[in-house]
Formats: sequence, structure tokens, C-alpha cells
Amino acid sequence: MVVKARSNLRLETRQSVIGWAFVIPAALLIFVFYFYPIARALVLSFQTGIGANMQFAGLANYRRLLSDNVFKTSLVNVLTFLALQVPVMLTLALALAYMLHDKRLRFRAFFRTAIFLPCATSLVSYSLIFRSMFSLDGFVNALLINLDLITQPINWLANPWTAKIVIVLALTWRWTGYNMIFYLAALQNIDSSIFEAAVIDGAGALSRFFRIAVPMLKPIILLTAIISTNGTLQLFDETYNITNGGPANATISISQYIYRLSFQYSPRFSYAAAISFVVFVLVAVLAMIQMKVGDER
Amino acid sequence: MKKSLLKVLLCVLVLSLLTSSVALANQEVTVWAWDPAFNLYAMEEAAKIYHEINPDVTINIVETPWDDIQTRLTTAVMAGQTGTLPDIMLIQDNALMKNVIDFPNVFADLTDSGVDFDQFAGFKVGLTSVEGRNYAVPFDNGAAINALRTDVLAEAGYELEDFRDITWSEYITMGKEVLAKTGKPLHSIVAESPDLIMAGLQSAGTWMFDENGDVFIAQNDVLKEVIEVYVELVKSGVMVQVNDWEQYITSFNRGTVAGTINGCWIIGSIVLPEEQKGLWGVTNMPRLERSPNATNYSNQGGSSWTVRADSANKDVAIDFLKHTFAGSVALYETILPSSGALATYLPAGDSPTYAVPHDFFGGQAIYAEITEYASKVPQVKYGVYNYEARDAIGVAIAQVLAGRDIDSALMEAEETVRFLMEF
Amino acid sequence: MIKTRLASILKYTFLFAVALISIFPLLWMFISATNTSGDVLGGRLLPGTNLVANYQALIARAEVGQALWNSFRNAIVATIASLAVCSIAGYGFEVYHDRGKDFLMRVLLLSMMIPFAAIMIPLFMMVGRLNLLSTTTAFVLPTLATAFLIFLFRQSARYFPKDIIESSRLDGLSELGIFLRMYIPVMRSTYATAGIITFMAAWNNYLWPLIIMQNAESRTMPLLLSNLVAGYVTDYGLLMLAISISVLPTVIIFLLLQRSFAEGIVVSVK
Repeated sequence: MVVKARSNLRLETRQSVIGWAFVIPAALLIFVFYFYPIARALVLSFQTGIGANMQFAGLANYRRLLSDNVFKTSLVNVLTFLALQVPVMLTLALALAYMLHDKRLRFRAFFRTAIFLPCATSLVSYSLIFRSMFSLDGFVNALLINLDLITQPINWLANPWTAKIVIVLALTWRWTGYNMIFYLAALQNIDSSIFEAAVIDGAGALSRFFRIAVPMLKPIILLTAIISTNGTLQLFDETYNITNGGPANATISISQYIYRLSFQYSPRFSYAAAISFVVFVLVAVLAMIQMKVGDER
Repeated sequence: MKKSLLKVLLCVLVLSLLTSSVALANQEVTVWAWDPAFNLYAMEEAAKIYHEINPDVTINIVETPWDDIQTRLTTAVMAGQTGTLPDIMLIQDNALMKNVIDFPNVFADLTDSGVDFDQFAGFKVGLTSVEGRNYAVPFDNGAAINALRTDVLAEAGYELEDFRDITWSEYITMGKEVLAKTGKPLHSIVAESPDLIMAGLQSAGTWMFDENGDVFIAQNDVLKEVIEVYVELVKSGVMVQVNDWEQYITSFNRGTVAGTINGCWIIGSIVLPEEQKGLWGVTNMPRLERSPNATNYSNQGGSSWTVRADSANKDVAIDFLKHTFAGSVALYETILPSSGALATYLPAGDSPTYAVPHDFFGGQAIYAEITEYASKVPQVKYGVYNYEARDAIGVAIAQVLAGRDIDSALMEAEETVRFLMEF
Repeated sequence: MIKTRLASILKYTFLFAVALISIFPLLWMFISATNTSGDVLGGRLLPGTNLVANYQALIARAEVGQALWNSFRNAIVATIASLAVCSIAGYGFEVYHDRGKDFLMRVLLLSMMIPFAAIMIPLFMMVGRLNLLSTTTAFVLPTLATAFLIFLFRQSARYFPKDIIESSRLDGLSELGIFLRMYIPVMRSTYATAGIITFMAAWNNYLWPLIIMQNAESRTMPLLLSNLVAGYVTDYGLLMLAISISVLPTVIIFLLLQRSFAEGIVVSVK
């Protein structure tokens, strides 16, 4: 009896050690190449100065953030994008993945490829297209006028609210396919007999979607939710290239402000570092909430 | 005794000759600049000229966009790795003061290097010097021009000369006529771009900062007048706002607007459509009325060559620039015809090449004219916080156009800039 | 009968509409590569005859072949190395999970949440001091392990039937053997997804190669593209051609891998 217990323990310990061996290389790399620079950035955020002339200043940078109107605007902007865009996009991606998972659907490969392609399209070219499509004499206005939905062309990029809508549309267009393929891949790992049983039981398509697919996809939905939250709060590409933060900072993102402070204005790396940490904390808090709600075995 | 001393001396002589020629042989000067049609082409021609003077030096030109030069420069200095930077960098005049002051000891002080700065247009020398010391060899001319479609003007009953030496009110009045008779606005601009405002400020010899570097926005009457002009231009339809650079270029390439006001480097884009040949003319920009020092001349953009202070090839680099961009009229004559690259090197302006009539502009000798404009551009200092102020003004314009009153918009702009300056 | 017919028509219409909206900008890009700059800016939607001229101008203008090779080599090395390191870590975090590993996973997740601009300079200093500037190693090393990939493999490992592990152990397979012989083949769809995502990210990476690649020979495609828009006058036909060429590798790899993440093996243990 004792011998068996001891060998069981040794087996578990051996497995645990092997588990750690699998995990350590990656963890080590992340500590060296992410956490070490992050620590240095944190130290930097407690200093002030321009360019390379730095002195210690405690929480001065963080206090300064409280009275920074541009920062506050950028924060509101990305939170708005987060609220408006991410849930819609993830739901759409989920629905599309479910539809494309159906083996009886024709042209599946075409749909799959077409919907994925936006995230592979170059930023330069698609921002050019979006700006041109939403100009006063662009495609969107022409279409809306033709359909009698509006009488005057909308100056999309010159109005704060419509500019935000353009960004939301651009983000959805670009990232829905990206999230869709995660769901598609995960659906492959779910035994199709579960769905077949549900059909036999008389469950309709919507019911199968909500009662089976969504719960079973929870681990991947959690992944995409965290990634999308992170991506939206650190948004840069679209706001920089399509609207350049305008009009009058209506679409400026936090990352764009950080970029300006670091490279366009007189370099304020310590202040930029402080802002980066606020973003860090914000994303971390949101991610932890999402993990609490959705991380289960 | 004497023999061995002689031998030693001989050895030393031979050795020193050897090492000095080794030092000269195959020196490589690296240059970062953007735009192959303009800046890089000029560099290549300069390299050819210098090769005659000093054949052991190779000029290695690496094409790099301006934004990337700024990013790499900032990163290298902050990381203490200035060795990764090239010997010569082309720097936008808008950013020169900021980089020289924020990164001390990175740029070589060229004041006593033998480069004759009196040979360059005054305003460029002003832009490239900090506290009386010169930090760059001026290059690209950004003198503001008002380029117009002479055929469209004729349709409305006007001539190019009617637009020379005028005020903004006159410009708007004539612009309304042109709009009414031909349906075309006189020019277009990228929405929220502060470029026109900046040109207006400099035309009256002022800027968003005063001589002491303090913010000069809310109390700046010239700025107020410029913004009022801007609003009037948009409201009257004489100037139309577009969403991005591509649409701006398309607007005059396709003829939906009758002209453009910008730095003279815009000529490269104006001459693109073959069918518009002979239909354009160039004159100076309108001036402000209420401002005491108003002129019809200003600057937009432009860049200059800097040398890295801790570069091993610093002296060669300076020698290279001295003999080419700061000394060779032949260089400027070579690059002008094929690239339209205009210089701020005044002796070049006297060259007959510059007086050649330009077909696209109906035979007008635009180069000689523009060089003359350059000599009259008022001197201002852009300052260390130039980009911060530009962005703040961009926001202010958008707000004013949306209905906010100018004073409160400028007040907010000033506060934003002060905030950014304060630490 | 009619109801399902209607639903089917709606479904296909919806999917075609979404597909068309998704694909249109890319199509426009390919079409623009055959047009002149003026036509592109004018919004021309039909193919033109300028493809050869654009191509000749492009290769005269920039070292496209070299940039393509640099980007490709960097991206492939980064992808293979990342997949190897991160998949085994994700597997380890899930299959051998305990309080310690769960906690570590949450800590590692934090590493994704800081903007790159903040850590760029310390990273650059490290690479500079290690004398690794302009090397593929420097390109790959910082993003070799990402919390994102590890998290993806961990979450996906939750679908890996634990019974396979048990029965493999009984069959005498080592832990590493189980990972290599059982996990990797079964999780093919995850590897395909992770592969395409990582390749794309490595291919499109701009800021990091910009600051560590110090000479013209190591220039990557994104850097080459930005040179094309940095001039006073841009040739848009040429630009669209260059972008089309730049986008092709990602598209090709996607086409090669897409069967894998759409038609994976479903294992059921009887």
C-alpha cells in the first residue's frame, strides 16, 4: 500500500515537473523581453524631463494626467469604441463561424477566405479606400442618396459622431474575419455528434447556436474578448490613418497620443510611460473581470 | 648614432604617410533622406561632384521616410545608441529646433566650419540656427506660392497679374467671382491641416511663440486675423476642404479647383496631368491687412542637412556639404531641370538655368521668381514646441468652423500648449 | 419547406453580401495595380493596361526582391519558433494545471497589455548591448513568446480529450511523446490558426524592424512600402502594385492552411 502511494506521488511530482519544464522557456522569454522593459518603463514614469534629461519626480506624471484634456478625450474615445464595436463584432464573427461550420453549406472556402482577407489587406491601402468612400462625393454618400435615405451628403470625417462611426465600421470590417477563424478552429474540436443529437431532439438552428455552440466555445470567446479589449484600448492604426484623430480630437486614441508625445512633440517619454501604465492597468482590470466571469474548466 | 636616428625618423615618416592615406582611403559617409525624385536625386548629383574633389569618399544614400528618421533619431538618442545614426540626416525645418535643443550634442555646430551661411536665404538660416549657432546646411526651398489656372481665371475675366501683391480680401472677392462664373473654388486644403494658418502667420513675421519662447496664441492678433480669413474662405466657398492628401492632389489634378497655395515643392504634383500644360501660372500669396508687418511672402515646409556631432566622418561630411550644397552652383543647375528642386542658395538663383521659361506655366520663368520670393520671406523661429502648437491650432480651426468663437477656441489651444510645455 | 427555402436564400444573400464587402477593397487594390496613378486617384474601378509599366517602375525604384526575402525569412523563422515555444507552454499550462500555473498564466497575460511604444527603447538598448542589431535573431527574439499565443494554445487544449493522454501513458508514451505524437496532430486547426496569425503579425511588423534594422540590405516589405508614400509625389499605381505583392504571401499561406482550421480531425474516444 505504502509503496503504491509513494509511486503515485512520484508520478504526480514527475508530471508536475515536466509540466513546469514545458512552461518555463516561454515564461522566461516573456519575463526577459516584456516584464523587464515594462519595469524600466515604470521607473521612467516616475521621472520627468525632456529628451534624455531626467530627474525623479514621484507621482507627478500621474497627477498631471488628471488635468490632461487630450488624454481624457482619448480615453473616452477608446472606451466608446470598445462599447460600440467589440460586442457587435464578436457576435457577428461567432454567427459567421457557426454558419460556415455547416458542412452542407456551398462555397464555404470562398466565404471563409473572403471574410478573412480584410485583416490581411494592407493598412495603407484600406485606409485610403475608407477615406475615399466616406468623402463628400464618395461611394457611401452616393449610395445613401440613391436609396433616398438622405438628401444632403454627410461630411463623415468632419463631424465628431460620424467620424467615430466610420472608425467603428472600419474596425468591424477589418477584424471580424480575424476573430471568426478562431471560432471556426475551435468548432472543429467539438464533436459533431453533439449537434446531430440536438437536431434529432428537434432543436432549431438558433437554439443549437445558443444552447450548444456558444457555451462550448466559452474558452475561445474569452480569448477573443480579452484580445479585442486589449486591441481596442491600444488602438492606433485606424485612428492614425483614417481620421488622424480628428475632427478636433474626436477620434484620437490613447496610443496615438502616446505616439505624439514620444515622437512628434518634444519627446516626453516619462509622461508617455505613465499613460502606458494607465492603459496597462485598465486592460488588466477588464481582463481580470473577464477571466473571473469566463475562465472555468 | 646619427644613422639610427635617421632610420627612426625615416620609419616614422613612412608610417605617418601610410596611416594618413589609410585614413583617407574608402571613407564612407552615410546619408538618410526621403523622396527619390527630389532630395535623393540631389544627393546623388552632389556625390558625383564631390567624387571629383575627393575620390576616396563614398556617399552611401539610404532612402528613409521623414517620420522614420524622427523615430530612429529619438530612439537612438534615448537608448544611448547614437552610433546607429548616419553621418548626415535630412531634417524638416519644422522639427529642427526641437531636435537640436532636446538632443544636445547630437548635431554638429556648423557655424565655424567654413560653410558660408550668408549665401543662403535669410529665413532658412534663421530656421536652421539656434541661439546664433548654425546647425544645418539649408536645402529645400519651401517659399509659398499661389499657383493658378490662367484659363479658368480668363473665363472669369481675370489675369494672373490681378493676383499679384494682393490682400486676402481682394483674393476672396475675386474668388467669389471665379466661383460664380466657373463653378470652381480657387483652392482646396486638407481639413484641419494648420499649414495655411502657419503660412499666414509667417507672412506677417510672427509665430505661435514669441522671441522668448513663450506661447503667443490667445493674444496673437495676427493669428486671429488669419483664422478669420480662413473661416471666410471656407464660408464663401472660395476654399474647399477635403479629407486627405490624396483628395487634395486630385482636386487640382482633375481641375475641380482652380489653383493651390502651398510651398513651391507642390509644383511636382501640379505638373502631373499632361493636359493642363501651359494652363498654369505662379504668383505670390495674398497678404493680411490688419497686421503691421504683413507681406506677400511666406514659407511652407522645407528641410535642411544636418551632420552628426559624434560621427567619425564628421569632418568629411562637412567638407562634402561645403563643396556641394553650400558651394556648387553647378549642382543646383543640374538638379533644377529634371526635378524642379529649388534651392535656397542665392548664387544659384543668378544662374541662367533658373531664368529658363517653364512650358507648363505658360513660359513663365517661375524658378527665378520663386528664388526672389525666398529672399523676401520673413524670418521666424518655429521653436521647440512647434508640433504641439500646430496640433492645437488644428483643433481650434475645427472648433471655430463648427461654430465656436475664435477667442475661446484660441484660449483652449493656448492652454493645451502650455500644458504640454510644462514638464 | 418554403420557410427553410427562404431561410436558405437569406443566409446565402447575407453571406455573399458580407463576402463582397470584405473582399472589395482588396479587389480594388489589385485592379489599381494595373492602372496609372491618375486613374487610381480618380477612383477607377476597371483594370487598366499599366501593369507592366508599374512593375518596371517599381523594380527600378526599390529592391523588392530583397525586401520580400527579408520579410519572408523573418516571418517564417518567427512563426515556427513561436509556435514551438508557445504551443508546448500552452499545453503545459492546461494539461498540468495547478494553482501555481494558473497564477503564472494570469501574470503572463499582463505582458500583452502595455503599448509597445513604452517598452521599445529598453528593448532596443538590450538588443544593442547584445550586439544583435540588424539580425534575424533580434527580430524574432522579443516576440518569440507571446502571452496571446500561449493563451490560445491553453484555451484550445481544453478541447483536447484527456482520455487520450491517459491511454497514451498506459501505452508507455512519455509526456513529451504525448505532446508530439498526440496533441499536435489533433490540434491541427489551432496550429493552422496560430500559424497564420503569427505569420501575418511578423510580416506586417513595422516599428520594431524600423529601429533594429540599421542598413538598407535588411529592409523589410512594410518599410519599403512606407518609402513609396514618403515622397512629395506618390505614384499610386506603383504603390498599389507593391502593396499587392506584399499582401500575396499572407493570402497564399492562408489558402494553404485554411482547410486545416476548417476541416480538422474530430477525435472521439469510444
